Amino acid sequence: MLKIENLSKNYGGFSALKGLSLEIPDGALHGFVGPNGAGKTTTMRILATLMKPTSGTAYVDGTDVVKDGQKARKLVGYMPDFFGVYDSLKCWEYLDFYARCYRIGQAERKRMIGQLLELVQLEEKENEYVDSLSRGMKQRLCLARSLIHDPKLLILDEPASGMDPRARAEMKGILRTLREMGKTVMISSHILPELAEMCDSLTILDHGELVFSGSVDALADRMNGNAPLDIRMTEGCGEEQVEAAVRCLKEMPAVTEILREEPFLLRVRMAEGTDECAEVLRRLVIQGVPVRDFHRAPMNLEKVFMEVTQDA
Amino acid sequence: MLNPILAFSATRRMRSFRTMLIVIAYMAALMLIALFVLSPFLKDEILLSSLGRSPMAYLVLLGVQFVMLLLIAPAMTSGSIAGERERQTLDLLLVTNTGSFRIVMGKALESFAVLALVIVCGLPVMCLCLLTGGISFGQILIGELFLLAEAFACVSVGVFCSALFRSTVVSAVMSYLVMGLIGVVTALPFLFGYPQRITDVLYDRALYAGLSEAGARAMISPVLYLNPGFGLLALAQGQLHLFTDAASRLGWGRIYATWLMGDRAGWVFVAMACAAGMIVASVALLGAASRLIRRKPKRKGT
Repeated sequence: MLKIENLSKNYGGFSALKGLSLEIPDGALHGFVGPNGAGKTTTMRILATLMKPTSGTAYVDGTDVVKDGQKARKLVGYMPDFFGVYDSLKCWEYLDFYARCYRIGQAERKRMIGQLLELVQLEEKENEYVDSLSRGMKQRLCLARSLIHDPKLLILDEPASGMDPRARAEMKGILRTLREMGKTVMISSHILPELAEMCDSLTILDHGELVFSGSVDALADRMNGNAPLDIRMTEGCGEEQVEAAVRCLKEMPAVTEILREEPFLLRVRMAEGTDECAEVLRRLVIQGVPVRDFHRAPMNLEKVFMEVTQDA
Repeated sequence: MLNPILAFSATRRMRSFRTMLIVIAYMAALMLIALFVLSPFLKDEILLSSLGRSPMAYLVLLGVQFVMLLLIAPAMTSGSIAGERERQTLDLLLVTNTGSFRIVMGKALESFAVLALVIVCGLPVMCLCLLTGGISFGQILIGELFLLAEAFACVSVGVFCSALFRSTVVSAVMSYLVMGLIGVVTALPFLFGYPQRITDVLYDRALYAGLSEAGARAMISPVLYLNPGFGLLALAQGQLHLFTDAASRLGWGRIYATWLMGDRAGWVFVAMACAAGMIVASVALLGAASRLIRRKPKRKGT
């Protein structure tokens, strides 16, 4: 559905995007994560034909968004991170206006407006003025607007920003419905756990570069492989046994860092790509260290995000 | 299908109190001026010397409308594109299938429609001059057509500035400045242009006598056809012949030379050519504005 090829964007001397390449399959709900300034909005604006890249291109359903913007606009629905609404306009008029801009016929417009207002749970607000809606409702109305021409790819730039928990939950519900409808959705956020909950796959950007792209599980696996080892010893064991354990670990080349988190808990970092957990445990047991618990420290997604983006 | 931007913006515009206020204020100003200029005809007895005020009343009303349009248009159009940017709704328009030129044209036509409304509303007031004679309905209609062309030109300058500048206020101020600049720059050939070919014709009686209308029209600098003030002057002269003596008495050869060419070319034609010139230039300006609205935004997030 979406293929991004070596996309770069420079603003004067600043590189907002550095050769981003990416593919998103049909029907995927794809998360686009990165800290502020990572290049998410730039990528999305290029895909929405609002901006030309410095080099590279992207294809939506085979259509080049750089060379054939007019055709691409029919395929892409875009909801920006910040947007305004018109006053003196009712909800149905708001959607009707954008439907006209997409040159949709009157009968089709009427049908689509009804369906979309129902989808975003605003059917009761049909005849109310847009500026009287709450922020969450405006976000949902804008989502309906981006769907008015039945696009194949939906690009949502931080759709839940500034929403209260209830409004966020409602937005998530709508996105799940869209996935069930078979839409390909690309959604950005700088909060990884929020996206990981609902997305099939993720892309992590940092400083305009691709840091990770793949499924949420693949990201967790990758990060769990690098998660530190927590070694807990029997409470009440002597200090000399803890020190023996530390000495034993220091002798192992694969061990890069040893932290004493608690009196009887050691947190051990291993060099990336090494898998010597069994060897660590074997040596500790031979040394007579009373190991009570031995496991990889759990990595939550917030930590994963921090880990992934800190090196880029 | 009707331009959606035009239909939508017109709906919003007509719902706003400001539009109603503009129409009322415009009409009230026009009525008061008409009342003042035509006051000699409101007395019990009308002096013969007062009769000359009827064409003058038409000219004053035309001139007042000309100036009012210059003042109203930038205020009305300064927010057409800049306002969309400020409201953060421009991106939502640009991602639709409506092309940039259609968006700009829709915005221009929407503002023009309001100005056309006030011009048409002013027609009955202009027709008061018919009651006192000295002017025909056809002449009034030509005057209205000229005002419509001027309104479109003012609107296009306003929309252009609105596309160029990000703030509504800056756009409004710059619209007035740009209009003033256009007025001055396009008047330069009238004041300083003194082509040799005009001199040759004027100093050779035989050449001047044989000069055709088309030949005289070609003698007038094309830049002058873009000057609304020159157009108004040409219209007034063509319809009322009020300035002939004044021009000859000026004694400033450059102006008088062009003036004589205008006489030969036919002033009403010159005025209509000005109207056409303004419309063509306006469409070109709107084309330029459509290129400007897709400029990169100020970088706030990446």
